[in-house]
Amino acid sequence: MRLLLLMFAFCLTLPAHAELRYTLQPRQIADDVWLLEGSTDNFDKANGGNIVNTGFIVTAAGVVVIDSGPSRRYGEAMRAAIASVTDRPVIKLLLTHHHPDHVLGNQAFADVPIAALAGTTELLREQGNAMAENMYRLVGDWMRGTEVVLPSETLAPGTLEIGGRSLRLLALRGHTGADLAILDERSGVLFAGDILFYQRALTTPNSPGLDVWLEDLDTLEALPWKRLVAGHGPVADDAAPFVQMRDYLGWLDGLLRDAASGGADMNEVIQSPIPERFAGISLTRYELIRSVSHLYPRYEAMALQRVDE
Amino acid sequence: MSVRVLLLLMVFHAPSALAAEADPLQSVMWEYHHKGLLNSEPYVFDERVKVQVPPFAEDSRQVPVHIDARALGDEVVRIEAWADPNPIPRIFTFTPGEQVVPLVAIRIRVEQATPIRAAVLTRDGVWHIGSAKVDAAGGGCTAPSVVRAQPGWEDRLGEVIGGRFARGDFSRLRLQVSHPMDNGLVGGIPEFFLNQAELRDADGQVLAELELYPAVAENPSLSLEVKGAQDTRLWLRDNNGNEFEAAL
Repeated sequence: MRLLLLMFAFCLTLPAHAELRYTLQPRQIADDVWLLEGSTDNFDKANGGNIVNTGFIVTAAGVVVIDSGPSRRYGEAMRAAIASVTDRPVIKLLLTHHHPDHVLGNQAFADVPIAALAGTTELLREQGNAMAENMYRLVGDWMRGTEVVLPSETLAPGTLEIGGRSLRLLALRGHTGADLAILDERSGVLFAGDILFYQRALTTPNSPGLDVWLEDLDTLEALPWKRLVAGHGPVADDAAPFVQMRDYLGWLDGLLRDAASGGADMNEVIQSPIPERFAGISLTRYELIRSVSHLYPRYEAMALQRVDE
Repeated sequence: MSVRVLLLLMVFHAPSALAAEADPLQSVMWEYHHKGLLNSEPYVFDERVKVQVPPFAEDSRQVPVHIDARALGDEVVRIEAWADPNPIPRIFTFTPGEQVVPLVAIRIRVEQATPIRAAVLTRDGVWHIGSAKVDAAGGGCTAPSVVRAQPGWEDRLGEVIGGRFARGDFSRLRLQVSHPMDNGLVGGIPEFFLNQAELRDADGQVLAELELYPAVAENPSLSLEVKGAQDTRLWLRDNNGNEFEAAL
């Protein structure tokens, strides 16, 4: 009987051996500016972690890539996708921040400089392996062979002149403490990294505070952008992503503040109603549960006083 | 043999595997803990004992657990809480007394995905079991201490922040104690944890007793509810004999 059950279990596992292949379709969003748009879902064995927007800009000197995706396999698929639209070589990879869905494709770009803010490199050094392990748990075999590769160049805020193109680099903090946004001055395309989420609930694992994040939104919105590429979610040509982000961050901040001043426990806060106006945003409940874990202790500390004697 | 026949066989075998008072979470550790923690005494799985946890542990070192046995009213004698497969399963033993509500919110460490149990002993000698399951990447019990990485933590040992919040006819007491809660599973650091707490009234009479175990997270966070608005004091002691007190 036991043997038969084993055989039966083996049959059940067979479909998992199907080939894992990312279908990355580069979409031109401005002259020489390309986007690889991921879904707004969560990490899953069905999507291989392709829930992220990456991009690249074709300059006279070669291709500048923005983020490398969630796995080695994604990075390799990205190289192939780039080669399908241009013969120019990849000359540089820019990382917006250290989160796994943006940097774990780095191995596929080990032949070019990988550049990031100093804080991003530091965070990736501290947290990279643990994040990669968790990605194996979440998306499984898609991650096979993936290892953390640290950046080889440090970026400072300012203008990066490359291949006749001016890329304005902004060092922000709201999402992880070290967040790079990139404005391509010629096209007006703003790669906002995860300072912008659009139609997808924002994530807060390393956020220094929602107030910091709100200030970053002001900084970004004041730039001369024409087209917005959020780290997650669809491209926009108007300020809708900024409006949604401010609304959502304001709601989250108020919810946590009110809960703490009312003496709520974490398990009560994660069950809070989510306003109807956010119904179109994916993963709000899931991210509320995570954000309560990340942020609620700070709000609690503000609502409690020293009582020891 | 066809797959269909195998499926049928599995269906027929299932009931025998779920014999006796079936654990709704089918944990292999249930019988072990029933024997070890509840002395094999009579029990019933009872939905009136509400155990709330997040569906997944975002931080395996700080997993919020909310245990509410108010539906059993004044019949409650004692509450035992544990996490089935944890290297240190026990969380707390709570004896609420007449003036204190059978409700505890606390944060714990988990080493892997786990059922969380609350066993509530009523006056008739029966344990009422509430359960919930939390998924986790794990590693919370063996992760390096966060508290010990902060300079000056020794000076803050035993500091308590707290507050009192009206809940209808009750008051909720919330507090957090600065303490590393070392569980002995991290290399080179022996057990050093708060193991005893009492909630007392203004005259020093004990309102509730709480034994703590090192499954409780670093810088323990605790919520209790008392009847009325009386002044209360919380007394704490760790396994090195340090005593701390807070007024709420």
